Amino acid sequence: MSNKKYKSQSKSQKTSLGLTYLILIILSIIWLVPLLWIVLSAFRCEYQADGTFIGTVTSNFFPKAYGLKNFKDLFTAKYYGVENAFPRWMLNTLIIAIIDCVISTFLVLSVAYCMSKLKFRMRKPFMNIAMIIGLFPGFMSMIAIYFLLKSIGLTGNAAHPEYSMIGLVLAYSAGAGLGFQVAKGFFDVIANALVESAKLDGCTNFEIFLKIILPLAKPIIIYQALMSFTGPWMDFIFAKVIIGADNAPFWTVSVGLYSLLFGTHPDTNLFTQFAAGCVVVAIPIVTLFMFLQKYYVEGVTAGAVKG
Amino acid sequence: MDNKINITSSMNNLLSRFTRRFKDGSIGTKLSHFIFGAGNIYHKQYIKGLLFLLLQIGIILFMVLCPEINNTPYGYKALLNLSLKNLSEGGAFDPTTGVFTHGSDCKLIILFGFVTIAVIIIYFILWDKNISSSFKADNDLKVGKKPSSFKQDLSELFDSKFHVTMLTPTCIAALVFTILPTIFMIALAFTTYNDQDMNEMGTNLFYWNGLNNFRAVFTGEGSLGIEIKNRFMPVLGWTFIWAIFATLTCYFGGIILALLINKKGLKGQKIFRTIFILTIAIPQFISLLAVRNLLGEYGPINGLLMNLGLTNSPIGFLGLRPGDSERLAKLMVIIINMWVGIPYTMLMTSGILMNIPQDLYEAARVDGASTIKMFFKITLPYVIFVTTPYLISSFVGNINSFNSIFLLTGGGPAYTGYQAGGTDLLVTWLYKVTIDQGSYNTGAVIGIFTFIITASITLLTYRRSKAYNQEDTFQ
Amino acid sequence: MKKIISLLLALFMITCLVACGSDGSSGNKKGSSEIVIWVGEESAEFYQGVCDKYVEEHPDLGYTITVKGMDTGAVAGVVTNDPSAAADIYTTAHDNIGKLASTQCAKPFADESLINQVLADNPASFKNVIYSTLDGKEYLYGVPYISQALFLYYNKEKVTDEQAQSFEGLRQAAQAAGTKAITVTGDDGYNMSFALLATKVDDHSTSVKIYEGAEAVSGGSKGVSNCQGDDTVAIVRWLQEYAADPNGFKWASSDGWDADLRNNGALAVIGGAWHYNAAKAALGETNLGIALIPTFTLTESAVEGLSSVSAGDTYRGGTFADCKVFMLNAHSDPEKYTALQDIVKYLSSKEIQNESYVNCLNVPAYVGASEYIKSCYESSSVTESQYNLACMQVEMAEWGIPQPFLTGTLNTYYYSKNAPAVFRAMIDKTAYPTTGDQILEETESLEGVRKGLYLMEYLWMHGLNPSEFPASLPEQA
Repeated sequence: MSNKKYKSQSKSQKTSLGLTYLILIILSIIWLVPLLWIVLSAFRCEYQADGTFIGTVTSNFFPKAYGLKNFKDLFTAKYYGVENAFPRWMLNTLIIAIIDCVISTFLVLSVAYCMSKLKFRMRKPFMNIAMIIGLFPGFMSMIAIYFLLKSIGLTGNAAHPEYSMIGLVLAYSAGAGLGFQVAKGFFDVIANALVESAKLDGCTNFEIFLKIILPLAKPIIIYQALMSFTGPWMDFIFAKVIIGADNAPFWTVSVGLYSLLFGTHPDTNLFTQFAAGCVVVAIPIVTLFMFLQKYYVEGVTAGAVKG
Repeated sequence: MDNKINITSSMNNLLSRFTRRFKDGSIGTKLSHFIFGAGNIYHKQYIKGLLFLLLQIGIILFMVLCPEINNTPYGYKALLNLSLKNLSEGGAFDPTTGVFTHGSDCKLIILFGFVTIAVIIIYFILWDKNISSSFKADNDLKVGKKPSSFKQDLSELFDSKFHVTMLTPTCIAALVFTILPTIFMIALAFTTYNDQDMNEMGTNLFYWNGLNNFRAVFTGEGSLGIEIKNRFMPVLGWTFIWAIFATLTCYFGGIILALLINKKGLKGQKIFRTIFILTIAIPQFISLLAVRNLLGEYGPINGLLMNLGLTNSPIGFLGLRPGDSERLAKLMVIIINMWVGIPYTMLMTSGILMNIPQDLYEAARVDGASTIKMFFKITLPYVIFVTTPYLISSFVGNINSFNSIFLLTGGGPAYTGYQAGGTDLLVTWLYKVTIDQGSYNTGAVIGIFTFIITASITLLTYRRSKAYNQEDTFQ
Repeated sequence: MKKIISLLLALFMITCLVACGSDGSSGNKKGSSEIVIWVGEESAEFYQGVCDKYVEEHPDLGYTITVKGMDTGAVAGVVTNDPSAAADIYTTAHDNIGKLASTQCAKPFADESLINQVLADNPASFKNVIYSTLDGKEYLYGVPYISQALFLYYNKEKVTDEQAQSFEGLRQAAQAAGTKAITVTGDDGYNMSFALLATKVDDHSTSVKIYEGAEAVSGGSKGVSNCQGDDTVAIVRWLQEYAADPNGFKWASSDGWDADLRNNGALAVIGGAWHYNAAKAALGETNLGIALIPTFTLTESAVEGLSSVSAGDTYRGGTFADCKVFMLNAHSDPEKYTALQDIVKYLSSKEIQNESYVNCLNVPAYVGASEYIKSCYESSSVTESQYNLACMQVEMAEWGIPQPFLTGTLNTYYYSKNAPAVFRAMIDKTAYPTTGDQILEETESLEGVRKGLYLMEYLWMHGLNPSEFPASLPEQA
């Protein structure tokens, strides 16, 4: 390759690189605008001439005044008759998310391992049933799940409203095992030779799972844990039905925030507090995602290739 | 024909299996046919025997005692009720004592009826297992082995029967929280369970209705007949258009974005990637509601457009008011969905792009192929080949994409006189019909149609895909 | 030799079912010494305080009382979904009584002294709508404690008090401000009452009848309805014109009616007392004007082709004049019955209603409340706008009627069978689907309005669309 040719190529490469930067920067701005809007709204601290606080959507993108009032109100306000409602909702969600995360991850891994590395009669039918069941719209089964949970006393009742949280954890994690496909795709890639040789060494299937598969499966464990941990922070329909519309102290944070915006709270001036709540909820989840990005990508890729 | 023979012969096999076990079995095995665990106890497998016995007692108690929730029984009474005939409205009230006697709750009758049937099926599975367990011990004794001890049974569960241990929790959870509710939902499609109709008639009872609800879809009868007849096809059509566009825009957008970000010599890849991942990490009800408010009638975007003099009155981007442009709303949801979906494909394809053998590109470069040509001839075919399963699952996922529509347009612009608005998908329509309107039978019909469509697409394409057929080669 | 783990889990499941089931089969009780009351969110705190006092004064009650805030609009739905999970005492607008009674979610009141108190305190118009039938007997189902009616909130900065008296005045102010005159809080059957129930200013007369003489029993007579009178036709045609005017009527924005007020999208809104806080937040208390629903004068074009109305006739916008009621849960423990009735009797007494006005701006339901309202203003325990609000509502109630939906059927037909959508289609002059593939294309002409009104009346009476329109209108639907 002659020197001259190399130079001209590098020049065209430079322009194309510059173009790439330009496109990426424009796209980044587009991507950030709505999120920036929520953050700015959270810090908005505008007042009307007569001193009334403006808490609704306004047509100016950048606030005229900034402050922490929304956050302060959010953490101290009494919503739906509950003192310190927002911190409570955060705590509820955290508890539910952690338990759901542990149970779901365990179920997914155990099913995926069976489907990928064990041979038994019902394997294929099980996989097909799991796939077909997953195609029914979820909330159609909501009423049925509510009354089944009620049968075993796990919806909010006057004596033990907190039981509804257990019910919600069950409702979230019960179906998790059927979503084994991504993890199975990951396990499939682990060489069977490894399993076979361990068998020859006299390992039981349990030991193989514990000592060989699990250590290799760290990325997928983290991926599954991340997925099931974030689920409860995002659901605003199921949680309200299972926990109950009158059971505000035990709501999850998404039900609470959704109600701030669409409920018939006597004060409709709550958009900026909603925004502050969104920021508070988003920070830990986003941080988690950033730290675990690598594993998330591995999980997503495994899922894509193996469907 | 072949099938028929198969069925009869397998029935015969099954029958002979039972008669043989009864005839050839020991006294314990014979007893096991009536008392669970008797055979195990006879073989001195006490723990297992007691477990079986306890289960039998538990189930029989459940069947006989008929525990009640909301005046609706489980157990044998639930089976009797399942016909939904001769139910009483209840409503007897004694003003002096305040005692209010209630009638039955039909939805619970159906639900608990199915639970009871499931319990009966479990009972018969246990019955079979307990006989064969005892019969196996008989055979072990015949060949001079000792019947397995409880410890042996347990260790088996961690080795050759490990899949049983691992799958049982999921199976039970799925049975209770997924399969039973799904069957319940399907059953509702064959009833008159419709709050509107029931309010109208001043009753809280409903009945089996045969195929009439399905007929109403075509004839336009019943409380939501006109709605279904006139809106089903448009909603179905839009659902497909939406699913195709949402899948393809995000897919190709993601690939292009991945190519841009992974371009050689580009600095700050990590920063860019982090920015795009934000829309995945932030819960959708936050990010989508943010967009909705941003585009609201008095939101900043309309404010900007009006300040610039580009429009006199606020534009209804999301069709939230009746009479807003339906096309614009449809366009907007597809675009906003790209905002949420593209980063996901970007992440996924980034890894795949790295795996494309570099010598393919080298060879093409030597042949003088342009970058664009290389993209279409090498990159795209490779990525599509690898990600076909994802394309299918994301297509099905988009058919059932609830959040994007519910949180952005709420299905609007509304069609005067109908539930289903201009951007409603089957799944959001279903939500309105069931949760808002309480027309559970109609909702179930829509749900079944949705299911048939998604299931046939999935089965047709998925079964043909390479990944599925080659699944066993990994084994 | 198999699934031991599965056995264990199944056993666990079944014992749970048996255990909890036997718990439930011992009677459908809340199983607690707690009485739960649902009231509107805005007054939950106040009623908790009242109940705490009540418990203190009645040490032998034997129950604790918990008051929870609930969206009163959603209560009926929540209760019917799972009545046994609902509160012992819940509150809702009286028009849900028929529905809740017929689905057996409500228990009648039987305490003589309570019934006497209700009959003595409340306006005669309420008495028809708080009774329902069970087993062929009439029972009191709801105890009124708040009265509700629509009135006008307006932007004092842009609208003079005089302009706020009439729709024409509002339009004048809107012209000056370059915006719309008036909006409503929703497009449902409740909010359309402002036009539908408009009455002639001279003699409070209207030809509109909604389920007049209906029986409070499922399947009983639906009474007589009429909305095809010439005055109604003229009012609709007038509203069509007013809505088409660039400075006239608009429906609430997708960001909510309060966004309209705040952003100068409309100068006034027709709302109720429960919108007070939002309206105050939108305009600020000093700018918030409160008035009767304005009057309007029929124009030449609105009465064209109509014989019994004439241009220049003045009407005042109407309203449903409702009450919110306490109801008992049919599923609550019979042992609580006496205690629950006593509590309701206490909570609906004049004294507590008065207190709730001062504390939560709930306008009392009993006859003669205006004297107390006046005394509150004189002793300045309420602000001027709070005083105005109560006065305007009390006065508006005289222009209105209670929602006459005595059974679930009537409620469903009026609200949920598309009659409101027909009304909106007429105001917007858009096409409306009728039967099968038929579409009422033109809702603008006199003929179109007549058809639309016939359709509404038919929906009220039959709950479905007519198979065809009669050859000549008006005709009884």
